[in-house]
Amino acid sequence: MATQGKTKLVAIVDDDDLMRSALQGLLKAVGLPAQAFASAEDFLKSGQQHETACLIADIRMPGMSGLELQAKLNADHCRIPTIFITAHGDAKMRMQALRAGAVEFMAKPFDDEVLLENVRAALES
Amino acid sequence: MGHPNKTKWIPGPVVSRVLRYGLALVSIAAALVLALTLLHFHLPQTFVAFALSAIAITFWYGGAKPGILAAMLASVVRIYFFDPEISGLSRGVYYLVFLIFALLMMRATRARNELEQRVAERTADLTRANEDLKFEIAQRNRTEAELRKSEAYLAEAQRLTHTASFALNIASRKIIHWSQEHFRLFGFDPEGGVPSLEAVLQRIHPDDMERVHEIYETATREKTGYEMEYRIIIPNGTTKHIHMLAHPVFRASRDLVEYVGTLVDVTERKRADEERERLRQVQADLARIARVTTMGELTASLAHEIKQPIAAAVTDANTCLRWLTRDHPDVEEAREAASRMVKDTTRASDIISRIRLMFNKEASQRELLDINSVIQEMVGLVRNEANRSSISIRTQLAADMPRIMSDRVQLQQVFMNLMLNAIEAMKDMNGGGELTIQSQPAEDGHLMVSVSDNGLGLPPQQADQIFNAFFTTKLHGTGLGLSISRSIIESHGGRLWAADNSPRGASFHLTLPTNTEAPE
Repeated sequence: MATQGKTKLVAIVDDDDLMRSALQGLLKAVGLPAQAFASAEDFLKSGQQHETACLIADIRMPGMSGLELQAKLNADHCRIPTIFITAHGDAKMRMQALRAGAVEFMAKPFDDEVLLENVRAALES
Repeated sequence: MGHPNKTKWIPGPVVSRVLRYGLALVSIAAALVLALTLLHFHLPQTFVAFALSAIAITFWYGGAKPGILAAMLASVVRIYFFDPEISGLSRGVYYLVFLIFALLMMRATRARNELEQRVAERTADLTRANEDLKFEIAQRNRTEAELRKSEAYLAEAQRLTHTASFALNIASRKIIHWSQEHFRLFGFDPEGGVPSLEAVLQRIHPDDMERVHEIYETATREKTGYEMEYRIIIPNGTTKHIHMLAHPVFRASRDLVEYVGTLVDVTERKRADEERERLRQVQADLARIARVTTMGELTASLAHEIKQPIAAAVTDANTCLRWLTRDHPDVEEAREAASRMVKDTTRASDIISRIRLMFNKEASQRELLDINSVIQEMVGLVRNEANRSSISIRTQLAADMPRIMSDRVQLQQVFMNLMLNAIEAMKDMNGGGELTIQSQPAEDGHLMVSVSDNGLGLPPQQADQIFNAFFTTKLHGTGLGLSISRSIIESHGGRLWAADNSPRGASFHLTLPTNTEAPE
C-alpha cells in the first residue's frame, strides 16, 4: 500500500457523536487517518471533499441527508467512493444509493471487518 | 179487635176517626131513609137488608169499631122505627144476626187489611228491586264507558308505540284477536275484518318465512312461548322489521290452546342499530389502524434511537479488541475504546428510561371508572372481528362493581389487546370459538377481570415468556402487546397473568385495586 502524493483521507459524516467517535476509533486502530464531520454541510464547507478518498456517511441526518450529499458531490464532479451506514434502510433506498455510485450500503450495527474491507478497497481504487 | 187497623188509604188519624164513625151514622141514616122511602111507597119492609149493607160498608171502609157502632145503631133504629113491640126472643135473634154479621165482617175486614199489607210489602219489595236494577244498569253503563275509554287509550298507546296485539287459536289456526294497530302495521284494511292467518303469513319476507315457521312449529311442539324478529312486506312495497312476542295459554288439562302476544314495529330501531353497527365497525377499523400505526411508529423510532448507540458500542468493542489483540497491545487506546463503549451503552439505557418516562407521564390521566362499562365498550369494538371468525362473545359482569381510579384509554388498550389475542387464537377453529369476559370482586380490595378463550392455548414450554417484550408466536406480531398490557396493569397497582384452560384455550386474569386513590 504505497502512499503516493495524494493523502488518502477517510471522511466520516454522521450526526451521532458516539457513532462518529466509534468509527474514528476503529479507523485509527487499523492505522487509517480519518476526519469526522457532524453534518453534510460541515463536510462540504470544509473543502476536504477534494482530498477525500473514501466517505463513510449516515443516511438520515438533520439538514442534508446522506443521499443528498452523494447527489451534490456527483453534481460537483467530485466522485468519492461512499459507504453508507444506516439504522433503518430499506431495499429501495439501498438500490438508489448503489446506483448513484455507493460502494456499500450497511445496516447498523455493522460488521467492522466488512466495513474495513470496503474502506480499503475504496482507498486502493 | 181492640188494636186499630191502620190502612194506607185513610188520611190523618183524627180526620179519619171522624170520617169513619161519621160513616157509621151516615150509612145507617141512609138505610133508614131508604127503608122509610120504600115504606112510604108501600113497598115491603127492607130496613134489615139496607142496615146490613150499611154495616158492611161501614166495616169495609170505616173499620171494626165504626162497624160495631153501625150494628148497634141499626139495632136501635130498627126497634125504634120499625118493630117497637117485638118479643124479647125475636129481639135476641135480631141482635144475634147483627152480632154474627158484625163478627163475619170484622174477619173479612181483617183479612182484607192483611192482604193489603202484603200487597204493600210486595210493592215495596218490587220498588226496591226496581231501584237496584236501575242502579246496576247505571253502573254497568259507567263501566262500559270506562272500558271504551280505556280501550281507546290502549289503541292510542298501541298506535304511538307501533305495538299490535293478537290472539291465535292454535287448533283452528284462526286469529281471534287482532288490534287496530295490527291492521295498520300489516297494511290490512280494517273494513275487511280480521284477516286469515294465511293472508298474514303471506306478508312475511320470503327469506324469513322458513325461520318463522320453524320457530312456531318448535314452540307449539314444546308448548312454550316464543320471541322472534322477522321482516314483512306490506302491499305498498315497504319492508318493516317486526319483533314478535307470544305467550302460550293453556287449558286446565295442560293443552296449549292459544297464543297471545304483541308485535312491535322495530324498523326504526333496526335502522338505528345498523347505523350504530356501521359506526362501530368504522371505530373498530380506526382503533385497529391506530393500534397498528402507533405500534409501527413506536417500533420504528425505538429501533432507530436504540440502534445508534448499540452500533457505536459494537464498533467500539471491536476496536477495543483490535487494540488488545495486536502484537503489541495498546492498552491506552483499548481503554479509550472501552470508555466510549460505556458512553454508548449508557446512552442506550437512557433512551429506554426516557421512553418509559414518557409512557408513565401519559398514564397520569386517571378518572373514576366503571370497569364493566369499559369492558362493554371494548366488546362492542371487537364484536365484528369476532363475528368474522364465528366466535361468540360471552360477558359475565358482576353487578355493583366498585369504581376504580384508572386511565380509560390504557385499560381500553389492555382489554382490546387481550380480546384480539383471544380472537386470533380461535381464528382457525372454524366456528365454536367462545370468548368469555368475566368481572368479579376479588380479595383485598381488588377486582378481577378474566378474558378466556377456547383456542390454541399458551405456547408450550414458553408460557412464562409471553409477557416478555418482542416475544411473539404470531407471523406479524410485534411481541409488545402483552408486555405493554402488563406494564399498564402494574402501573395501576394490579397484576396480569395467564393460565391454560382445560381442556383447551387460555385465560388472562388481571386484578386492579378498587381504592379510589391512584397508586403511585
